[in-house]
Amino acid sequence: MSIFNKLLTAVRGGVTEAGEAVVDSQAIRILDQELRDSKKSLSDAKTGLTSIMAEKMGIDRKVKELSEKVKEHEGYAIQAMDKGDESLALDVANKIAELEHELTIQQGILKGYETKVANLKKIIRQTERNIQAMDREVSVVKTTAKVQKANDLAASKFSGSNSSLSSATDSLERIKARQQQREDQAAAAMELEADENGDDLQARLKTAGIVDSESSGSSILERLKKQKENK
Amino acid sequence: MSNEKLTSLIKELGESQLSDDASLSIEMFDGEESVACIKVEDREEFPIYMTVDEGQILCISYLFGEEQVNPDKRAALAEAMLMMNVSIPLSAFSKIGDQYIMFGALSPKSSIDEILHEIELLSDNVLEAIEAVTDYFKEAA
Repeated sequence: MSIFNKLLTAVRGGVTEAGEAVVDSQAIRILDQELRDSKKSLSDAKTGLTSIMAEKMGIDRKVKELSEKVKEHEGYAIQAMDKGDESLALDVANKIAELEHELTIQQGILKGYETKVANLKKIIRQTERNIQAMDREVSVVKTTAKVQKANDLAASKFSGSNSSLSSATDSLERIKARQQQREDQAAAAMELEADENGDDLQARLKTAGIVDSESSGSSILERLKKQKENK
Repeated sequence: MSNEKLTSLIKELGESQLSDDASLSIEMFDGEESVACIKVEDREEFPIYMTVDEGQILCISYLFGEEQVNPDKRAALAEAMLMMNVSIPLSAFSKIGDQYIMFGALSPKSSIDEILHEIELLSDNVLEAIEAVTDYFKEAA
């Protein structure tokens, strides 16, 4: 069963019964230990791979050397034949046969190593994927446990009092009312300030003799008209 | 290890303010110091619970309980929440036991600003979400 399915089962079954945790801390400790073990064996496998690859490189070198030697001796054999020295040529040919035999053996070993390395790499990749999956599982389980605990605590804190958890709508209304109140206060304060500034301006204009104490719209209009006529 | 991270986060968050100058009051929620309770100024009704581990920082807020849901509209509510889920910025709906929740998850490497943004958004989302689903409640307003 996948971790999500397991979780779903656990969450459906246990959680509603207050106090019953989905995952106990013991289970998490075991998972953590398993994870550590897997990581250890992964690093062992990687070390193993390194040494096998080193051995493979040794064989690789041997195969190359042997191939070169075969070529070299083929050259000698041709030279011997060119000189008409059949018996020398035969000796060289025998040496070549020997070398080629050794080469075949080494090539077989090399192929074995190549398969081994490929397999090991595959296993390591798979292990790494498993560890990643397990890491995720542990994280999911740990989080679930924490959430569970937070939930239990929240429930015990709020039970008995008809506060927060009792009615979401009421809480929302309260918050909105507070916001509205604050906005109203801010608006009122701004209005007040505007009024005060306005009063201040009037007073200053009066002192400056620009605005008549009893000035009204009509008296100002009257004054402006006179100004226009005088022009 | 994680608890230390949570403790240091709480300290930093406590000294910070949200973009609208709202302050945060934060306290450890339990003796083991694994869950922090964050209250946004003027929205104390919907505290945000924060946990930290190697995998993620998790912020959870409780929306409402099953008992508030109109039984006849339960399926419709679930569908509405599922359909809203993708569109809600950074937060998602979920359920723990019989409590409907909203949560946001962050990388443990998140900066303090990112966490503040998450908290602010989650707090906004919670209010919006409750407003959006009140039609499904028993005492439908």
